[in-house]
Amino acid sequence: VERKGPFISTYKRYSMMPGRRRFLQGSAAAIAGMALANCRQNLANVNPAGSSSTNAEAGASSDTLYIFTWANYTDTSLADAFTELTGIKVVIDIFDSNETMLTKMQAGGGSAYSIIYPSDYMVSEMISLGLLQELDPTRIQGLENLLDKWIDPAYDSKNAHSIPFSWGTTGLLYNREAVPGTPTDWSYLWENQQALSGQISMLDDMRETLGAVLKGLGYSYNSTDPAQLEEAYNKLLELKPHLASFKSSGFEDEILGGDLNVVMSYSSDAIPITLEDERMEYIIPASGSSLWTDTMAIPVSAPNVEAAYQWLNFILDPAVSKAAVERLFFATPNKAAYELLPDELKANNDLYPPQDILAKCEGIQSIDSASNDLFDQYWTQVVSA
Amino acid sequence: MANPTAPPSGPISRLTDWLANLPPPSHWVRPLGLLGPAGTWLFLLMVIPTFLILEISLVPGLRLGEPGGSYGLDNYLRIFQPVYLRVIARSLNFALASTLMCLVMGFPVAYWLALMSPKRWRNLLLVSFVLPLWTSSLLRAYAWTTILRSAGVFNTILGLLMLPPQNWLHTPIAVLIGLTYSFLPYMVLILYASLEKLDTRLLEAAADLGATPQQAFWKITVPQTLPGIAAGCLLVFITTLGDFVVPTLLGGASSMNIARLIYNQFLGPTRAWGFGSALSMVLILAVSLAIALLLKYGDKSSVSETSQ
Repeated sequence: VERKGPFISTYKRYSMMPGRRRFLQGSAAAIAGMALANCRQNLANVNPAGSSSTNAEAGASSDTLYIFTWANYTDTSLADAFTELTGIKVVIDIFDSNETMLTKMQAGGGSAYSIIYPSDYMVSEMISLGLLQELDPTRIQGLENLLDKWIDPAYDSKNAHSIPFSWGTTGLLYNREAVPGTPTDWSYLWENQQALSGQISMLDDMRETLGAVLKGLGYSYNSTDPAQLEEAYNKLLELKPHLASFKSSGFEDEILGGDLNVVMSYSSDAIPITLEDERMEYIIPASGSSLWTDTMAIPVSAPNVEAAYQWLNFILDPAVSKAAVERLFFATPNKAAYELLPDELKANNDLYPPQDILAKCEGIQSIDSASNDLFDQYWTQVVSA
Repeated sequence: MANPTAPPSGPISRLTDWLANLPPPSHWVRPLGLLGPAGTWLFLLMVIPTFLILEISLVPGLRLGEPGGSYGLDNYLRIFQPVYLRVIARSLNFALASTLMCLVMGFPVAYWLALMSPKRWRNLLLVSFVLPLWTSSLLRAYAWTTILRSAGVFNTILGLLMLPPQNWLHTPIAVLIGLTYSFLPYMVLILYASLEKLDTRLLEAAADLGATPQQAFWKITVPQTLPGIAAGCLLVFITTLGDFVVPTLLGGASSMNIARLIYNQFLGPTRAWGFGSALSMVLILAVSLAIALLLKYGDKSSVSETSQ
């Protein structure tokens, strides 16, 4: 039965589109559609697997693989391809910060997951907490395809506990037509705070956001010097009244709809937006930013280790990675997959920035717990102010 | 319950004495059967967790996965830092202001529904007023982002009226609007229950004796419904004080309240469970105080009728 109500037709159009955001491209998106997209967005953060995740509480059986990952890293076609290949169903849940994921794993709420996606510094932290399984190299194929940089990463020696999945940068996504001048560095936010008041969002991520402020002040992202941290705290406090929100995901509608005009974003979230709306630009600030790696790891509590290894091998397959990059726009550390990419993606400077820009970026490192407490305290004070 | 004059007895005979002195089963089996399930539920999922929260709140610097330190009051002392006192003050302001808004907007509606609306439509009108509660509160709060956003419905209407646009999303104003909207139906329901029982003969008598409608309202209607007003205000106050959804969705960076602060301590980037637990205990205490006031001064009958 064809129903022609506005909601139904909007929904159909929306669900047939290749990308969720492409729906919003039309500037005349109806209010009803806006609201629908909003809801979808929000629900997606809670439980994005949609159709198949209702049985997430049912516990793990050997024919189901539960994955805990970041938004926009795994779509239905990736999951379906895996199911077709192995016969194992995939259920995906999403987190929006490493710390949230860690809390859930530590509190026992993550015991269904056999694959998790911690970032670099969190890998180190989870190894020291004894939360990650040591990987058996004989069960993994395709490690030789990794770029040299990821063969023996600093956060996890010889990839003993984690397999690099993607890498990227953190920077500013902005609407060229709505902001004064051209943002080039973090300082842009402070210089234009009046003009952009209420139109800026920053990541809801303690290490990224305080780190960016530290970097803008000329210090290291990983500074643990109390005086430098206090300076960064005060600097961020200056900007705070002009921030609309601290958000790590779900800002897509707001920047496309014109509510936000400058968004601190991970490159993997920003690039799809720049590709679909030509007013949108992404920059890596001139003083440098963070260069991150997100990995795949198997928690010690994993109920389905066999399926987890199959997932690792599946993703390490260059053809699978290449196809995923073309849909989801993260930079792959897989050399063979990179070679397969079309030239226009290889030449995308947002996805693969030039070496001189990358040289100024640093990876976020695990810091000692006293410094972590200090970060905690300043961060809580900033968001509470 | 052992008889003190009985010869010295071992634990077994003391137990049998105790059992023998219990009231006959017919007196306690039925109440136990009725209260047991809910009682067990509340004990396991409410009483025990509350004590766990209390214990965690007394361990300074507690972090999951690391050995806990010794007991101390540091987590509670931290609350007294100005920045957190401001968070608490902000939460109280939101709760007080939205309670007042709900009362001011809800009373006329409840008055009309209970005393002036056509009788045969009354139930239908009441149901239609409660209808929004059938959708998720998350969805209702989210709808307001579409209304209040800079290119949203509200600014479109202002534009048509030649008025300057307002950027209210991500400000305390948006939070206040959202809270008032979310909790207005509860206020109306409670006030309705109270107003419905109003003895209208007193109003007629007042009119007969020459009182103006205003005098009758302030001297008869308000005093008679005062317990209902108190119940409605306290219920709205309590729920808005601990509300998480509306300030998060509509308040953005501007509106950290105590519920969001607690959430951040547990699931946000800072994993300070001890501090979060101390904040929770403060909130529990504040709400308990409000409930104690409600039980003492509120109109109990109208509460039990409207809040299932």
